[in-house]
Amino acid sequence: MTKQDKKEHVAETDVALGKGLDVGTANFAAAVQNADGGITVTVERNAFLDIPSDVYSKNMLVKLKVPYVVHNNRLVVIGEAAFELANVFGRETRRPMRDGLISPNEQDALPMMKMIITKILGEPKVSGENCYFCVPAPSLDVDNNVDYHKGLFESMINKMGYRAHAVNEAHAVVFAELAEQDFTGIGLSFGGGMANACICYKSIPCLSFSVARGGDWIDKNVANVLGCPRSKATHIKERGIDIRDPKSREEEAVSIYYRSLINYVLQNIKTRFESGQNMPSFTSPIDIACAGGTSLVGGFIEVFRDEFAKIDFPLPVGRIFRSEEALTAVAKGCLVAAAIGES
Amino acid sequence: MESVNDVKEALSARSRTATLDELRSEGRKRVRIIRAEHVQSMITEAVNSAVEQSGLISPEEVQKLVEKSRQQFRTMMQEAQEATEVQDQLEARDREIAELKKRLEQMAGGKGGGGAASVPVSGDLSAVLAKIEGSINDRLEKIGKKMGVSAAVESDAPVDFSGLFKAADKKLESNMENVEVKKTEGGGIAANLARLKKLKGGS
Repeated sequence: MTKQDKKEHVAETDVALGKGLDVGTANFAAAVQNADGGITVTVERNAFLDIPSDVYSKNMLVKLKVPYVVHNNRLVVIGEAAFELANVFGRETRRPMRDGLISPNEQDALPMMKMIITKILGEPKVSGENCYFCVPAPSLDVDNNVDYHKGLFESMINKMGYRAHAVNEAHAVVFAELAEQDFTGIGLSFGGGMANACICYKSIPCLSFSVARGGDWIDKNVANVLGCPRSKATHIKERGIDIRDPKSREEEAVSIYYRSLINYVLQNIKTRFESGQNMPSFTSPIDIACAGGTSLVGGFIEVFRDEFAKIDFPLPVGRIFRSEEALTAVAKGCLVAAAIGES
Repeated sequence: MESVNDVKEALSARSRTATLDELRSEGRKRVRIIRAEHVQSMITEAVNSAVEQSGLISPEEVQKLVEKSRQQFRTMMQEAQEATEVQDQLEARDREIAELKKRLEQMAGGKGGGGAASVPVSGDLSAVLAKIEGSINDRLEKIGKKMGVSAAVESDAPVDFSGLFKAADKKLESNMENVEVKKTEGGGIAANLARLKKLKGGS
């Protein structure tokens, strides 16, 4: 389809083309512009749970409208329902991604991931519609293969009828949150498997990298010290606690590891920026925008500012803030990139 | 006979060569001599005897073990040889750098001395630098190839991984079509797009 055809289509439906997809370790999120001038974001948890396949269980899942797939003669419950069931039965969910990338241990989960992505993205409005999806930057602290991860999702999305483009995860945060600063500043995405950072000047990324610690790292450590499954630790973390004011031993553990994670990320950003050869010079202070599901916890940005004040940051920094739509900011940023690609 | 040669090489690698005068200066008047073949047969006999006495391994297994040991011995010899070569090359490079430094110091001394003999500094220096640079690059390339590193450039063409996950394309029984997924509404992106277009120089 030519650009002219696409423009005519937009005029017919009054909905702009282009979709953004956040391929997260913990959640998938797809963003699209709606007819009201806003955006609609569809979110699904990136997790599965195998249960024995029998007629009774299957009927129950159908009645309760719990999404499932039959795979290798087993019932596989998908998404948020899998997470809830795992908590009820004290089990661990299967996670197809680890540390921000596709997990080599979960290759047979690909059909289920494809199903979730198909569900949240929907059909392309026109063949070859742009879909920008996020990929992490190479990590400072682990040796990871971003190319394979990127190639896999690129191919998967192309097969759905879209034209897939990869965009750096933290760059997407800059697209979503730093428009008023002419897309100049630092975007940080605190995800389930990783924390990604990108420093931009006028929308151009100057430096981007990641560290392989995120919400999962907190869950793993909290589960270890409390002696409970990780799903339980995730539940504690997500039930609405404030890490500045922990109310129980469990919340105390979450709070300790949150602070440790934030400190680790900041120290790595500082070190990387200090050693960066392509760093631009800023005449005025730049803003730092935080986003991602791991930043949703109460007190996150206050603790972030506390930890930031303790280090001698190498750049002049103005405002430090968390996105108002932290869970969906990356998908929104990908949508901005997709929409500008369509125009 | 190959194993005898291996023993000879091993003895050679782990021994030192000394002249008769040197030995004499160390106070030695007589030395005992043993042939490599004898060492080899002593090793074989000792191993066979120890293994047979243990009664843990059959004669066939003993033979296999001996053969495996020989192979491992050859591999270790080869690795030691390669490491020696790399070390030699690095030492040669260090010597060249030291020589260059010495010559540069001599040139600088000659230039500053005023009354010293005139040296064609710029031409000579460029030639020396070019020669040393070429030599170092050549050696580094050789060492790199030996160590599995090369100056090859990566292709910019994207790698197609689709063949690795054909399983994801198969149709599975599911109720996903009848299940609603969570949707949230968010602020629009018109302002972001307008800013981006302005940055790009558009209207």
